[in-house]
Amino acid sequence: MSARDRTRAILDLPMSFEEKNGECFIFHHKTKCCIFSYDLYIKSARQTLELWQGIMKEIGGKFGSSVLSYFVFLKWLLMFNIFSFMVNFGFITIPLLVSDHSPNIPPNVSFRGLELLSGAGYFTYTVMYYGGYSNATVGQVYDMQLAYFFTIAVYMVLCGIALIFSMASSFRQNYVLADSVSNSAWQLLCSWDFSVTNERAVRQRRNNLRESLSEKAQEELLTLSEKLRHYGVHFGSWLLSTGLAVGCGASIYYLCQYEQKVHNQEAETLLVPFVVSLINLVIPLFYSLFNKFEHYSSQRQQIYALVVRSGNVFLRLVILAVLCYYWMNVVAEKFSCWESMVGQALYRLVIFDFLFLMLGSFFGEFLSNVIGTRLLTSLGVPEFDVARNVLDLIYTQTLAWIGIYFAPLLPAIQILKFFLLFYLKKVNACFQEFSTCCAIYQRSKFIPPRFVCLVLLCRLSPSEQCGPFQGLNNTFAVVEVWMTELEGPSHSHWTVWIYHNVIRSELFYFLVTLIIIVIIYIFWQVTKGRQELIRLLRQQIINEGKDKFFLLDKLQNLQKSHPNRNPKQKKQKEVCCDRVFFLC
Amino acid sequence: MGTTASQLDKDLLSEYQELTFLTKQEILLAHKRFSELLSKDERNFENTRVSMERILTLPELKSNPFRERICHVFSTSDQKNGSLTFEDFLDLLSAFSDSATLEIKSHYAFRIFDFDDDGTLDCGDLEKLVNCLTGETDDTRLTTDEMRQLINNILEESDIDKDGTVNLSEFQHVISRSPDFVSSFKIVL
Repeated sequence: MSARDRTRAILDLPMSFEEKNGECFIFHHKTKCCIFSYDLYIKSARQTLELWQGIMKEIGGKFGSSVLSYFVFLKWLLMFNIFSFMVNFGFITIPLLVSDHSPNIPPNVSFRGLELLSGAGYFTYTVMYYGGYSNATVGQVYDMQLAYFFTIAVYMVLCGIALIFSMASSFRQNYVLADSVSNSAWQLLCSWDFSVTNERAVRQRRNNLRESLSEKAQEELLTLSEKLRHYGVHFGSWLLSTGLAVGCGASIYYLCQYEQKVHNQEAETLLVPFVVSLINLVIPLFYSLFNKFEHYSSQRQQIYALVVRSGNVFLRLVILAVLCYYWMNVVAEKFSCWESMVGQALYRLVIFDFLFLMLGSFFGEFLSNVIGTRLLTSLGVPEFDVARNVLDLIYTQTLAWIGIYFAPLLPAIQILKFFLLFYLKKVNACFQEFSTCCAIYQRSKFIPPRFVCLVLLCRLSPSEQCGPFQGLNNTFAVVEVWMTELEGPSHSHWTVWIYHNVIRSELFYFLVTLIIIVIIYIFWQVTKGRQELIRLLRQQIINEGKDKFFLLDKLQNLQKSHPNRNPKQKKQKEVCCDRVFFLC
Repeated sequence: MGTTASQLDKDLLSEYQELTFLTKQEILLAHKRFSELLSKDERNFENTRVSMERILTLPELKSNPFRERICHVFSTSDQKNGSLTFEDFLDLLSAFSDSATLEIKSHYAFRIFDFDDDGTLDCGDLEKLVNCLTGETDDTRLTTDEMRQLINNILEESDIDKDGTVNLSEFQHVISRSPDFVSSFKIVL
């Protein structure tokens, strides 16, 4: 083994420092030091370059690991947005700015302050939205249509792959391995967060743990009538939360229609995003209030998880679905440059969401923190609700992802937003109670809205007068046009061949699906075989344990009935004992 | 191997870096915090042992329900009184650091939870563990029925060889399926 491997192996042993040091003296101290100092230097250099590394460590130490996971997620999203902004700006915006220095703004429109909020007016004619991009070919070489299409498509595919990989890695950890013991008593006991140092936090966590443990213990002791009552309460809560969400969705739809009828001034377009953000802020409070009245149920923790989390998620999905439906069916028919209108609506939603996050953070967390610590200490310090904050992040990022086709520079706003949000939340963060929110839950929420967006794009025809896809029937028609162009020169035949025989042919997709199904079947069979093996091995362990007890009993009986005078016999018995203990 | 007056030698520092999971900054911070616990004359001696009471004044350990068990487990003193030298302290921080492996953490967790130090977790150990985590006063404890039910659940799920106790391998098996353990078994100065 090399010196480094040997030292790594020693590190892995749970021995005290002095014992480890003894082991180390066997080989050269100095050469090892040289190798290691270089290695450590690289590691510490990398640590200082990473963004917010020191702050993250401080947060993890002070507030616990679930709050830290929120900030890690925030940083991950920030990196995503920086990447998407650079890609979009580099491939789409810069060629346009280079070729066409003056945007074609009508003479009577000038910049007023309201554009920052509403996104319309002056901004409509800039590169902010879809409508600002032309379908020309820059410098006879760079086709803007293809550039726009491929940039957005490749970015979406890359994001999808990155999400799937991170989901797959956390899937294994959180779902497969944590299978049947995910919420068991053992897990609760072993997940005591050692990094919590605040006295009050410790007391609160102990109370929560005691509640969870007594719930677990009582689960077994329930009678039938109590179980029925629990199911009734669960069903009632679910019904209430769903009804509330559907009601909000319907009201948003009618509000959009009303706004369209009286659409006169720019300021009135701010009404819909304002109401949407208000709903997103207030309704979750209703859900948690509902939980506070649940005194008579002993399954409080479970109902809290069910109602509050899935209720919040469902509410936001309903609102997004209603808005997308409205944009697809009404806006697309009515306006000439409908993509820019949708882009503006999304811009307004993003801005208002940020404003309300800041306000909510200020009033909800900061003020109640101050009141709790200085003025009315009986209230106690509020908790940093990780699940709700993560859901807010997912919602804003979903808005940005839906909007990237319509407003390519939206990630710039997201970058600013996340940067400010990090410092804001850091001030407000406080210890978090024991939480079972896992990573897979977070990231899987991204997938459905992105499919909605793709469906939106496939079905609709681009507008006639503006944007890079003017005059085409379908967004994907731009690839067809390119293929027909390529059929001329002889050196691109392989591209055309791939396009016609691979991407357009149904046989290819059928084969790919078949291969995936076969692979899934193989993995499934292997899993089943391994489960059976695990069952057999467990049984074997139990049997070995029984054998051990049987032999020990026999040995003890033997020793009692034949007190040993012969030293040779004594030695035989010792050998026998050793063999028995070898089995243990 | 001991600590000098107020600064660590470069050799010692790199040795500590190799044999523990801590980074250079963490070791220096640990040295600073440990020196603050010593009185002026004690700082001049090498290898001073700090009593458990003084270690427990550290804010990171003060509110931890397992503070005394942690000191006992990491202590190398002959009198078994939980006192720690600087190297014991580094061992402690290394086991609780970010980069420690799952095996190390689960090994030490097992030793911390083993209240009677007999190498297995039997019913008595489990009961003390639950009481430690739920509270020491009478009104915050679980009732005897709940406790019995809970311990039965725990043993049913983790006692693979059905001998009524949880040994190290069974404990490590349960821990390996818990995704939160590595991130929650952490103490950072």
